[in-house]
Amino acid sequence: MTEFLQALILGLLIGGVYALLASGLTLIFGVMNVINIAHGAFLILAAFVTWSLWREIGMDPLLAIVVLTPLMFGFGWLLYNATIRPIRRAPPAASVLLTFGLALFLEGIMGVIWGNTSHSVRPEYFTESFQIGELFLPKAQVYGGLVAIVVLASLYLVLTRSWLGRAIRASAVNPQGAELVGVNVASVAALTFAIGVASAGAGGAIASVLYPFLPGSHYQWIARLLGIIVLGGMGSLPGAVIGALCLGVAELMTVTYIGPEWATGVPYVFVFIVLLLRPQGILGTRLRQDVATA
Amino acid sequence: MTDSGATAVAEGTLKGGGAPPSQAPSKALRSPWTALIAVAVVLVGVFPVLSDDLYYQNMIILSMVFAIGAVGLNVITGYAGYISLGQGAFIGIGAYTVGICVTDIGGSPWVWVPVAGLVAGALAALLGVVAMRARGHAFVILTIAFLFLVQLLATNWDSLTNGTGGITLPIPTWNVEYQYWPFYYTLMGLLGVSLLMSWWIRRNKFGMGLIAIREDEDKAATVGVSTPTYKILAFAASAVFVGMAGGVYGYYISFIDPLGMFNILLSVQIILSLLLGGRATLWGPVLGAFIIEWLNETSNNEFSGGNARLLIFGGLLVLVVLFLPRGIIPTASHWIERWRARGRAGLAGERLTGIDLREREAPAPSAPPPDAKPLLEVKGLEKSFGGVRAVDGASFAVPEGSITALIGPNGSGKTTVFNLIGGTMASQAGEVWFDGQRLDRKPPWQRAHLGLGRTFQITRLFREMTVLENVVAPLRGFHLGLLGADAVSGREARRAEELLDFVGMRKYRDVQASALSYGQQKLLELAQILMLDPRLIMLDEPAGGINPTLIERIGEMIRELNSRGKTFLIVEHNMPFVLGLCNPVLVLARGQTIASGSPDEVQRDPKVLDAYLGEDFRLEQPVGT
Repeated sequence: MTEFLQALILGLLIGGVYALLASGLTLIFGVMNVINIAHGAFLILAAFVTWSLWREIGMDPLLAIVVLTPLMFGFGWLLYNATIRPIRRAPPAASVLLTFGLALFLEGIMGVIWGNTSHSVRPEYFTESFQIGELFLPKAQVYGGLVAIVVLASLYLVLTRSWLGRAIRASAVNPQGAELVGVNVASVAALTFAIGVASAGAGGAIASVLYPFLPGSHYQWIARLLGIIVLGGMGSLPGAVIGALCLGVAELMTVTYIGPEWATGVPYVFVFIVLLLRPQGILGTRLRQDVATA
Repeated sequence: MTDSGATAVAEGTLKGGGAPPSQAPSKALRSPWTALIAVAVVLVGVFPVLSDDLYYQNMIILSMVFAIGAVGLNVITGYAGYISLGQGAFIGIGAYTVGICVTDIGGSPWVWVPVAGLVAGALAALLGVVAMRARGHAFVILTIAFLFLVQLLATNWDSLTNGTGGITLPIPTWNVEYQYWPFYYTLMGLLGVSLLMSWWIRRNKFGMGLIAIREDEDKAATVGVSTPTYKILAFAASAVFVGMAGGVYGYYISFIDPLGMFNILLSVQIILSLLLGGRATLWGPVLGAFIIEWLNETSNNEFSGGNARLLIFGGLLVLVVLFLPRGIIPTASHWIERWRARGRAGLAGERLTGIDLREREAPAPSAPPPDAKPLLEVKGLEKSFGGVRAVDGASFAVPEGSITALIGPNGSGKTTVFNLIGGTMASQAGEVWFDGQRLDRKPPWQRAHLGLGRTFQITRLFREMTVLENVVAPLRGFHLGLLGADAVSGREARRAEELLDFVGMRKYRDVQASALSYGQQKLLELAQILMLDPRLIMLDEPAGGINPTLIERIGEMIRELNSRGKTFLIVEHNMPFVLGLCNPVLVLARGQTIASGSPDEVQRDPKVLDAYLGEDFRLEQPVGT
């Protein structure tokens, strides 16, 4: 029972971090119909920058979020305008291939800068744990999960309470309609992409404490995040949160009861099961294709 | 791909310059291409005999592995339009099949190469089953998940695969004098067979269906293309030879491990080969593969591989998507065509009058005989979108041999009724009966096979296909033999040409559908569904958005087809057209059938006037008749 509770709580905490990372991915998909395969590479990049900040000037990885969020926001905005904007009227396949190419390119760059060895960020509290009854909760996990929830909550506030948030949601639901009521959908798309990448920046800083990483880790991360948004329903933010919590718990349960070597397979199994049984995911909606193509 | 502006082409004229011109130039083009390809094939064929340079033999061997992978990928990505980032998995699956069979059962690796093909094909078909319900992005995600899942299995299933330790295959036993020849020529043979398959698919009914799926999957289903079967077959076809090549490749490098065999870079190189060379072309994937392998070697030699390969291939993928989206071969032929066609005007459009359009008074539509049995019966059909009840218990019958109209104010649910009958949408309640068979739970293609053909309110053609290909794509009934039937020549093509003749579009047979004017598209869509030889033809606003002469002509065609026994159900807003052509007329309002009868009866029905105009309107004179 303790074992189960421990796995459940740790799974939910990790799920909070996944939720933050997956929100950015699903937000980008919802607004511009782009699957950003480079999302995993962005978060690994953020993790490496966090590592350097921690190593060189001793900055706490969770504090590094304050630096990384605006940094990655600017990076995302530039990248969107340089690469994705020119092909936003091309068929959807183009953007998948493009972001996949970006992911590989970033992987190469990170390999050149930081080398292809495993890195991890270890602040002093890394080895400490909270003890509640018989439960041992590593501090890094607890802090990481809580910070992710705070960042995620502020992202929700931006999306629900600000004009930009309303513009983003309007562009997602009906781009033509949004244009008609004065929303510059192209600029909103650039900002959305930047927000998505910024959330990968914040999430990457947190993830750097939770898992060791190397440039090639981005494949595992993107697989995880894609599994989450497929499960939750592509483009749905609440869906991403539900999917993330499910995946976090499912991974920890797999580690606890089946074996850690199978944990990476959980998201792939998610993808297969969801696409077989309920292709639209938990909270996704089926689109009216006849109208969409008209 | 680049269809912007094509729809803006003026009525009756075709785009010059960019539009694919008539057959002649491309035939003239063909001979230098053919010669070039023949020389290249001969050079590759005799190279190992003339030169004992193993470095280049190795490079060509790897190029051919990529090429086989890319030609296979072309079937699903190029023809059917499904992007796969996991194609490399089938090379690994083939290699592992051979490795495992040799270790556990024994025998020469060569014996197991065909088995590798079968295993890869079977797994691909299985992936196709999952992919039946995944389109676009979901499918891409599925292919990534597939690759990683297979890699995970190869890593963790120690008893079968020896995990990360990998499998070592026996060293070849033949005389060293023969160098890599057995690998070389086996792969060359496999590449030849793959290309033959690709060529065959591109010109048979199966390939037309695949391209139709790429262009518009829902529409393809309504013209009888049983999309799940097509996709599963396409997946299997895309993997069989790749699996075999993987088996040969595994034997060639003699060591098989999860990291090497299921490396995502392998998939990247395969998809890059296809994109760079040109999707949906025969030789593009081969050209691309040779370029990619050359880059691969260069990065290994000049920059010691690793990160350099990631930078080169990642960067190249970005550049190709941004600046060369169509690939080398299509872009090159496009420029050559333009250069040849410089200063020449495009194929001019033609007035559509004069063909069998005698000046005569159209006969008043006659009522169907009272004993005519209903061909189509709709009972209590319901469909709502959120809170909107678009169709709310609609019931009506279409008598066999009639031209029945379905009219009603905007938003009354006419098009939704069409979608429910045709199967592009599922109804929430009610029944659809067609000639004694219940239709409403059947998929669209089965409805088409039973004899139901429909057009769309806004025409939906397969835009990148030629006019002729659009007409040969529909499938009248499903059996495997028909899939292999030649589509671009022979019986199917002749039939298509007759139909094009009937609608007056034969001249345009080799023009791309995206270059047609709206009126021409309407005619083509009619010819397309006639290919199904339907018993009931459902037309959604055949007279919408086209000029009066063409409207009259379409009316003539409907009468002509009707006299040959076709039943029609027509949704239309053009009242003179409807009232002069159709009998009975069904009136739909708020998702229910409120009236039916002859045009005269319906025009005088107060409920109809009320639905259209509000109750205070009084008709001074009957319209039309």
